[in-house]
Amino acid sequence: MTAQGNGDGAAMAFVTILYLLFLFAPMALLFVGSFGESWTNTLLPSGFTWRWYVEVASDSSFRRAFVTSLEVVGLTCLLNVLIGLPLAYAIQAAARRGVRLAARLMTLLPIAVPDLVLAFGFILVFSSDALPWLGSFWLLVAGHLVLTLPYTVNTLAADMQQLRLAEFEQAAATLGASFPARFRDVVLPLVSTSLLSAMLTVAALSIGEFQLSNLIAGFFSRTYPIVLLQAFYGATGFACAATVVLLVLAVAASLLSSATTRLAGRAA
Amino acid sequence: MIAAMAYQGVSYRYPSSDAGVFDIDLAIGEGELVAVIGASGSGKTTMLKLLAGFVLPDRGRIAIGGRDVTGLAAEARNLGVVFQSYALFPHMTALDNVAYPLKVRGIGRAERRREAADALARVGLDQRAGHHPAALSGGQQQRVALARALVFRPHGLLLDEPLSALDPGLRIEMRDEILRVQREAGIATLLVTHDQEEALSIADRVCVMRDGRLVQVATPRELYDRPADAEIAGFVGQSNLWRGTVAGEGQVATALGAFACDTGGLAPGAAVTVLVRPERVLPLAALEPARPGLLPGRIVADRFLGAARRIDFAVTGGLVRLETHSQESVAAVAIPPSAIRLLPDPNVPHGGRTRP
Repeated sequence: MTAQGNGDGAAMAFVTILYLLFLFAPMALLFVGSFGESWTNTLLPSGFTWRWYVEVASDSSFRRAFVTSLEVVGLTCLLNVLIGLPLAYAIQAAARRGVRLAARLMTLLPIAVPDLVLAFGFILVFSSDALPWLGSFWLLVAGHLVLTLPYTVNTLAADMQQLRLAEFEQAAATLGASFPARFRDVVLPLVSTSLLSAMLTVAALSIGEFQLSNLIAGFFSRTYPIVLLQAFYGATGFACAATVVLLVLAVAASLLSSATTRLAGRAA
Repeated sequence: MIAAMAYQGVSYRYPSSDAGVFDIDLAIGEGELVAVIGASGSGKTTMLKLLAGFVLPDRGRIAIGGRDVTGLAAEARNLGVVFQSYALFPHMTALDNVAYPLKVRGIGRAERRREAADALARVGLDQRAGHHPAALSGGQQQRVALARALVFRPHGLLLDEPLSALDPGLRIEMRDEILRVQREAGIATLLVTHDQEEALSIADRVCVMRDGRLVQVATPRELYDRPADAEIAGFVGQSNLWRGTVAGEGQVATALGAFACDTGGLAPGAAVTVLVRPERVLPLAALEPARPGLLPGRIVADRFLGAARRIDFAVTGGLVRLETHSQESVAAVAIPPSAIRLLPDPNVPHGGRTRP
């Protein structure tokens, strides 16, 4: 560091360190706490144990929530592919700029609207006698889909444009390829990395989703984060271990997603 | 004779704009290479899109091999297109790219690979068949694109600014290569380019577009020697363009003086543009006795072009541009009557169009 930039540099370093501290300290403490024998009114826990992880794994409500979460994540990803990919393709292929803009705005809406508002809307609509689906598993999946689909569509549409997909498709058409052939031979291979990366991000979002799930999930379709909240009323070590499980899953999905994005960037 | 590719009264206007092409009639013969030139926005790329089937005409018909294909999608037209950016599939090797049109036609793997290898060999790229496009140079990608566009024996070949992405040195080489491959395949070809030199050097006929209309369709020689108007003359090759008035039978008056020339039945007093190509101007090393068409003056710019010199020569009343192989000094220039071409004055409305 040069003497001249000392003041600015020091301030920047201070802010950065504070930020990282706030970001990582809770995670580190959770990690430490999950292996701690006992932790009451001390800075750090004492003793080492695997006990909390064993307890989380053998807790039937946690196990069910874990499975539910995986099911919700899996179905959310699947539906994102089935709906998001064609939608992104249609937006990208739309000749008119207006159509594209409208589609973009539509997909941005759920991002702008707070999850809480969306959840209240779900509660209002689906607790009526006409549509009494509040608390059902499929409504939960639908909720996760609504929250994550905009991300998928925007990412894919942007990537398709950047990949100059329209031009490659046009080239394939002049070579005699029908639409199904173009989709199979050109569109899918070119967007596959982008799609994988988007789905991993969707998985990360879906695993950690709490606000909406907490309000619309039924007792038997509670996802992992909802059950996790209950854990904090019990033993600290148990709560820490249960949280670490979630943390590891979400971080793994995010890391994989960014790894595939970088891979796609290198290939392009 | 049935044209290989034809536009019949075709018009297309882009949605919510004035741009497009209008009343296009053009027939491209079997084995003929027709170039479309024009400034950007003149509609030359739209010509290609209409033929390829990327846009459908508002009016008129597109015919390929005598068959009306106006309503057919691009994949049903059987035309090879080389895109400006080549559009080689990045996830396929050069060989797979070239084999792709055969694959979608249901040709077996062994046979399509053999045919694709042959096609690559014809453009001299058989050594690079296993490489992906990213590992190929611009010129090599161009060759792969050309091989891919021809391997399925299409009815016609469409080239969209095929050389614009290449280094200048490579451009001439690829230009000759395209011509060689086109002649070998004997295929009707439409070449869209903004480079008039490229068009003149390889096309059998050149179409000049302006504001979405074909303003002249002629052989390169005709286009150069007898441009339809001053704007085309200025666009195609180097030129001297002077305002003039027909003084009488075989006489035109300009600010540089009066010249003898073929007035081709124009009435005395008619406003014209006088066109003289720079290489038709005769440089004279020594002053000769004054006579009509002899212009004494001095050199104001002398550019060395290797084999030739391009000289700006100031004379009374204006500037004469000339190109000469002579290395001697120039004291005067002469304009032979046969070098002078009279064109309709651009300020006089013609063809429904006025130039500011």
